[in-house]
Amino acid sequence: MDRPIPLTPYPATITKIVDETGDVKTFTVEFEDPQVMEEFGNKPGQVAQLSVFGEGESTISITSSPTRGKFLEFSVRRVGRLTNALHQLEVGSKIGVRGPYGNCFPYDLMKGKDLFFIGGGIALAPLRSLIDFVLSEQYRSDYGKVEILYGARSYDDLCFKSDLFERWPKIPNTKVYTTLDREEEGWKGHVGFVPPYVEEVSPAPENKFAIICGPPILIKLTLPIMEKLGFSDEQIITTLEMKMKCGIGKCGRCNIGSKYVCIDGPVFNLAQLKELPPEY
Amino acid sequence: MMEVTQQLREQAKKLLEEKKADIVIGFGQGTELTRTTPIFINSPEETQDLVWNAFCANNLVKYLVDCNNESNNVAVVVKGCDSRAVNRLLVDQQIDRNKVIVIGIPCPGQLDWHKAADKIDPAAQLKEVINNEDSFTVKTDSGDYEFPKKDYLLQKCLSCENPNPVVADITIGKEQPVKNYEERFGEIQKLEELLTEEKSNYWDKKFSRCLRCYACRNVCPACTCRECFVDQMKPMWVSKRNNLSENTAFHLTRAFHVAGRCVDCGECDRVCPVDIPLRNLNRKLLKDIGDLFETPTPGSIEDLASPLGEFKTDDPEEFM
Amino acid sequence: MDTRVVNKGQLPELLDKLAQDYTLFAPVCEDETVTLFKQVSGAQEITLDYTNSDVSPKGCFFPQTEKTLTYTNTGDKLEINNVCEEEKTVVFGIRPCDIKSILALDPVFHGKFVDEYYTNKRENTTIIGLSCQKVASTCFCTAFNSGPCDGSGSDLMFTELGDKYFVEVNTEKGRVLVDAYSQFFGTQDTDQLAKAKAEHEKKLSGQFVRKVDLDGVKEVLDNNFELPYWEKVFEKCLGCGICTFVCPTCHCFDIFDLTNGLFTGERYRCWDSCMFPDFTLMAGGHNPRPTQKERVRNRFMHKLKYHMDRYNLDGCVGCGRCIAKCPVNIDITAIIKDLKEVGQNG
Repeated sequence: MDRPIPLTPYPATITKIVDETGDVKTFTVEFEDPQVMEEFGNKPGQVAQLSVFGEGESTISITSSPTRGKFLEFSVRRVGRLTNALHQLEVGSKIGVRGPYGNCFPYDLMKGKDLFFIGGGIALAPLRSLIDFVLSEQYRSDYGKVEILYGARSYDDLCFKSDLFERWPKIPNTKVYTTLDREEEGWKGHVGFVPPYVEEVSPAPENKFAIICGPPILIKLTLPIMEKLGFSDEQIITTLEMKMKCGIGKCGRCNIGSKYVCIDGPVFNLAQLKELPPEY
Repeated sequence: MMEVTQQLREQAKKLLEEKKADIVIGFGQGTELTRTTPIFINSPEETQDLVWNAFCANNLVKYLVDCNNESNNVAVVVKGCDSRAVNRLLVDQQIDRNKVIVIGIPCPGQLDWHKAADKIDPAAQLKEVINNEDSFTVKTDSGDYEFPKKDYLLQKCLSCENPNPVVADITIGKEQPVKNYEERFGEIQKLEELLTEEKSNYWDKKFSRCLRCYACRNVCPACTCRECFVDQMKPMWVSKRNNLSENTAFHLTRAFHVAGRCVDCGECDRVCPVDIPLRNLNRKLLKDIGDLFETPTPGSIEDLASPLGEFKTDDPEEFM
Repeated sequence: MDTRVVNKGQLPELLDKLAQDYTLFAPVCEDETVTLFKQVSGAQEITLDYTNSDVSPKGCFFPQTEKTLTYTNTGDKLEINNVCEEEKTVVFGIRPCDIKSILALDPVFHGKFVDEYYTNKRENTTIIGLSCQKVASTCFCTAFNSGPCDGSGSDLMFTELGDKYFVEVNTEKGRVLVDAYSQFFGTQDTDQLAKAKAEHEKKLSGQFVRKVDLDGVKEVLDNNFELPYWEKVFEKCLGCGICTFVCPTCHCFDIFDLTNGLFTGERYRCWDSCMFPDFTLMAGGHNPRPTQKERVRNRFMHKLKYHMDRYNLDGCVGCGRCIAKCPVNIDITAIIKDLKEVGQNG
């Protein structure tokens, strides 16, 4: 298929919709032309622009690892005009997808190391692409111990419940810590916010990467804890969210200083983040 | 005009020293000889930067709308036309009268800086501007320039209704004579008399070159909506596309939105980067409203409600 | 150096021919006060009596409104069609500062993702530059290693000298045009004219009113993001888009869809401005640049630092339009001067 101009989406169909929470849905999307999927080449941490024709486009991180199969998964929280329109769609609806954009998680650098994932709410979605990548049959032996610490406001707000409670704990050398902000009937797991839970679990920094994604308040409170635990700036990886339009570094919207989040990001380590002006 | 400048500086200094005002918004020397720029002063020493001359066209009253959210007391320098905007914002309840100090300066008219700049050596430094009865003398370090008022004033100044501020806590300078005009809306009548096709061509040409920069909207004291209709996506009244149809829709809609509240300060016209004569649009509505409701220019009288914003039992109701 | 001569009297005929054979963009004067680059059908529409146009000619390569695709989505079938033009175009009368701005925009639209809407136009356009005859008080192109007769980046560079135009043929594309219209391009006295051009340029260099010295300014911005200086600059900014829309190097745009019935519609891209409050506003309410201060700071840092960081090219070309058009006289040359002082005083 002729590669269209970078701003032109590829036609795709929604093949599955999972209601994760009250306002989050995970869409499984397949391209009309299977060749496009063959050549798409998305890596963990990258994003794509989803088009609901007539409404517009939105940047959504690709939550599926390329190892999962010949499809893309997007977890979308209903928060604005475009995401609202996406949520109205059904299985079989046609949308446009273009990408993959952005840099990816440094999965090569992480080989041989232990990985500690920290996420909150919908922010588990971008992390999930890397989690499934390192936990895949293909690559599991390249990585050490994998720990996932995740929290949400309530049980209903937990995303990817089947992954958290059924699929991931079954994989060797993998541990999942889940926490809810408040006590809830029927919940026998940990109660408390994510940052103090991290302090409780107290991951050791040796031979480890910490990958953090969450709302600004979670990042703000967790970073000092990681510092206290002895993690260096290069060991802490995060992914940023910014308003994007073109996704290809031309429309000028997503810049933080001289960097474009759609090209130089969204994945940054803490050392790189500290060099950026605080405008995100 | 130097005298007024000196008094203005003294008064502003006093306001800041006595803590009656936290900020003084006035005119300062701009980066071109023929320009001034709005300055925001919060220390008594900075009042030396204030100027008053024939290049003070800006309407500073719009800045009060933002300042309203702070707890500061703000003093603002106004000319006659600007002062109408103060009354208008008060009636619209956009500013708090207790937090605003109006420094009114009777205005002899303002020069069109483009026309004036054409005649003056661009490298010259401004020394002072002298107001004569029929002209301005602009004194620079490389010579004096005479500007006859009838040729060099801003178009709006040639039919000025309120040379003296209609509201002021402090007045600086001599009262200016009020002229009587037989034809306040002469140029509007000329446009009204055009054939429909001529009118269409006239406005099509202007609106085709609109950049949709929204400077006219942002500078307008009547445009205070938190979300402008033109920025709304649902419903999308006007899209971001720049074509004749959308540009026309924007301008006509905005003119109607501010109708009855437009104080005819002329700023929309002055700021337009592609010289669209927006005043003609707003003044056409001003003329029609004046004829229909027999009201004076909005803001020219304190507490004058907008004719489209209130209902009187003796309003003409031919359509009922 | 390949040079030619065109008789001034023959220029209208040349332009008429170009208008017939190409899509010709040239400066047009409207209502006696506004000069814009527009598509013309003949020389009689063109004005050469201008210092510079009110809006930059970047619209010839990056139009304010551009349809990017059309779609038909019946639910069963989705069809997406690109809309990308390829017309042979000539832009005539573009000043050295604006030529430089096209060079500054080129790397933005090339790179890893090639924006064919821009690159197609760029490839299919022959740029005929025109040296300045006058320097405006707002001009400061010399601050960026350029000058009022600098033709670098153009395909052909015309300089009006008396009753002749001295023509520098700078690229193969320019040569092709000269050969195709060879009846207009002579070769006599080109040496003398070259000397006359140098004198003309020297004369113009003395006319610059603004002395702008960029030395040390970028270093101030490299090392300081939070400067109390910005508090003073932003207060008077109205937050309109004039500076960004008249600026020849600004390239921010928005993308949106417009429906045309139930199943069909179009996607457009249009100029957008980083000065508008909702430019970086995210669904959910978070805005990384919440007040005018952040937006004003971002604009000047982009022009004076970020563009250079990314592309090793100046983000400003010194055309002075933003200074001339800003309703509240925010002046980039004053900001450069102030930043220099901040750097020197610490």
